[in-house]
Amino acid sequence: MAAVVHKLLHHGHGHGHHSSSDAPTSSHDRQNSDMERALENEKRGLAHWEDHKRPLSPGEVCANPEDKPVGYSSNVFTQDTFELVKTLGTGTFARVWLVRFKNPKLEERDQVFALKILRKVDVIRLKQVEHVRNERNVLASVAGHPFITTMIASFQDHDSLYMLLDYCPGGEVFSYLRRARRFNEPTSQFYAAEIVLILEYLHEREGVAYRDLKPENILIDAEGHLKLVDFGFAKKVENRETYTLCGTPEYLAPEVIRNTGHGTAVDWWAFGILVYEFLVGQPPFWDQNPMKIYEQIVEGRVRFPSAMSPDARDLISGLCTVDTSKRLGNIKGGAGAVKSHAWFRNIDWEALYNRKVNGPIVPHLRGPADTRNFDEYEPEPENREVYSQEMSEKWGEFFKDF
Amino acid sequence: MSLPPDYSNEISALNREILKTQPIDTLQFCANFFLRRLESQRAEFLLSQQHSSPKRRGMADNNFPGNNPFGTSPSGGFATNHMQRLEEEEETDIIASPTSASFAPSDMDKAPSAPNSATFGNFTGFGSAGSSKVNRSQPPPTTGAIDPQSFPNNYNLNRRTSVSAESLNPASSLNDNWTPPYHQKSDDQQKRLRVAVSGNFLFSHLDDEQSTQVLGALQEKPIPTKGIKVIQQGDVGDYFYVVESGSFDIYVNKSGKLESGPDGLGAKVGTVGTGGSFGELALMYNAPRAATVASNEQSTLWALDRVTFRRILMDSAFQRRRMYEGFLEEVPLLSSLTPYERSKIADALETKKYPAGTTIISEGDVGESFYILENGQAEVFKRGLDKPVKQYQKGDYFGELALLNDAPRAASVVSTTEVKVATLGKNGFQRLLGPVEGIMRRNDPSKAALEEASSVDPLARGT
Repeated sequence: MAAVVHKLLHHGHGHGHHSSSDAPTSSHDRQNSDMERALENEKRGLAHWEDHKRPLSPGEVCANPEDKPVGYSSNVFTQDTFELVKTLGTGTFARVWLVRFKNPKLEERDQVFALKILRKVDVIRLKQVEHVRNERNVLASVAGHPFITTMIASFQDHDSLYMLLDYCPGGEVFSYLRRARRFNEPTSQFYAAEIVLILEYLHEREGVAYRDLKPENILIDAEGHLKLVDFGFAKKVENRETYTLCGTPEYLAPEVIRNTGHGTAVDWWAFGILVYEFLVGQPPFWDQNPMKIYEQIVEGRVRFPSAMSPDARDLISGLCTVDTSKRLGNIKGGAGAVKSHAWFRNIDWEALYNRKVNGPIVPHLRGPADTRNFDEYEPEPENREVYSQEMSEKWGEFFKDF
Repeated sequence: MSLPPDYSNEISALNREILKTQPIDTLQFCANFFLRRLESQRAEFLLSQQHSSPKRRGMADNNFPGNNPFGTSPSGGFATNHMQRLEEEEETDIIASPTSASFAPSDMDKAPSAPNSATFGNFTGFGSAGSSKVNRSQPPPTTGAIDPQSFPNNYNLNRRTSVSAESLNPASSLNDNWTPPYHQKSDDQQKRLRVAVSGNFLFSHLDDEQSTQVLGALQEKPIPTKGIKVIQQGDVGDYFYVVESGSFDIYVNKSGKLESGPDGLGAKVGTVGTGGSFGELALMYNAPRAATVASNEQSTLWALDRVTFRRILMDSAFQRRRMYEGFLEEVPLLSSLTPYERSKIADALETKKYPAGTTIISEGDVGESFYILENGQAEVFKRGLDKPVKQYQKGDYFGELALLNDAPRAASVVSTTEVKVATLGKNGFQRLLGPVEGIMRRNDPSKAALEEASSVDPLARGT
């Protein structure tokens, strides 16, 4: 669809210019109406996607972003297209809003989205330009995967970058986990299995390391399935190792701490920590002093509560192995070796990918725009630094494909 | 009059399920559906009781007293309503199903809060921190909101923020020909520095070369007088410090940052003297300083910044990996490896050092590992011959047939100088990529490749 809109727009502009010599006033009008038509077009495409939402097969997800209905860069959407309803989350340089179309038509009234807004000034100040570009590109290439947040479109204006994402009304797995303290084995297995499918896809189809796995970055959708969000540290590594330290302290892999170069294997380490945290209620390595956490991680001795099942222990030990050449998920068989581990013996992987299995927690919702599962956040601070013309000249190039 | 929205939502969810499943027994399916919905709604309801107050986001541990994960504490948000509490107790069995703890209550006691466990939050209170423990390392940071004394060994249940350091890109560092800064030091100073950082795990993993570069990069920083704040709590942290002489006091302000005024420093939690170090977290990423460190007298420090430290580590790792990949490309037995597989093997190679005169492999033994000579020289001997039959230089490899079979070594390899080898065992190789035969058959499905392989090993050839 994106391609169609591009053509439409292009054509429209060309036409406008052409006629400007003889009829300058009408050209302006026509340009406006072209713009409106393009907007209607994109909205229609969106509604179509929403109505027929189904998991794309791994092959379809892999397709060129231009050939997919979602994950494109839009020339048509602006912040003005949307009404900001409520903050769903904040980061150091981004804020995610629940949004809907301004002045919605009848059929658009129930359509809501999550809009991630990044201010260019903050992105630059926090040296996250490269990470933001990676995020946009990775999200575009994975859009349509059943357990990854769908980036419907991205766009920008003078001082901000925008990513229009599907809204996941269930809130964070983190909130459920903290309230329940820990998950039982079947619940943990279900969530873990969906994460395995995500990692299998990211690593083996896309060559992408996600690098920030944790319950805070996993949302629950209306049907109780998972959606991985926040691809700020995701990077296409393919067969080269990478060196920039990033992640969350308790979840960092030993090779990241030691700076010996890391790749997709860091996600399998973090996955082991995640399964442990699901089952125990807290991660295996912790201390008040972060350096002590890192010391424990590099040492890599995981201690298990006595009640943890032998299969779960075996899985976690395999994943949380300091030596990457012995780490489950990174050794022969890749994700397949994880999937065939005894702890997952009850999982029907095919049914799971196609969302045929019900999630253990299905959020109770009062409609598609219900935000009860999200916490309240402070309002956005006033008087922030402006993105100057000078900065725009220096950095515009880096954002041009957004 | 229109239907209530809740009802419409339930019905459309049911419609979706019906479409997806196409059940034969429609009525039973609908009944099951609503039962399931009811169960999950109840669980949800109870969960959201604690969730409703936004200020309780993070949730202190006392939300989960005792062994009941859904337990309510009298001070908690929702125990006040008697009806709710009754309902909660009645429903425990049902709610427990989707999310409850799988551990028996007795086991839960032992689990996350085992008092003497080193793993589960071995917080050492600030009270004891003034002693030698703090002398060595950075003072324990406080996260501000949490009063450690009241939660002796509990995990911080708040949302965790991501961290990230400066982008490090090896490709660009090769282009700009970066070399680490070098600051001259006396032998004594070197020795003292080595001792000072020896207990720090960030340094204990370094090899000799990295260690020399890192110590060389430490820069002297004179502190002319008493009362200089070398680092200030809450500030960005870029440097790690080792005390060459003098002494420093460590202060933590409970607010999380240094404040103005006479008590702005907060409480003194420790002292660090000659040979001590502080600020090591700055070698990882830019986190706010957890304490203020101020000089007690005229002192001298050694300082190392994060970018230099991490770049030294990165450059040496990067160069070693590329070197190994280059060596591996030269091994005919492994010629059909993809670049991805090659980089995996390069990552798995283990570095070993041997003094001159060491027999690295010996003729007749069962071969288990494959070797690449990374540094130094070695000679090949065959039984019955006095003179070496071959010399090995940097980049030469031997013993690769061990990856293929258990045939005895065809010759011995003895180091003539001190050598550094990169080595990988058959088990390690198979664990990563499976049997080497399978990999060789990619090019040639017949056995020809295998036979050819035995002819490329100089040892097998029995020169």
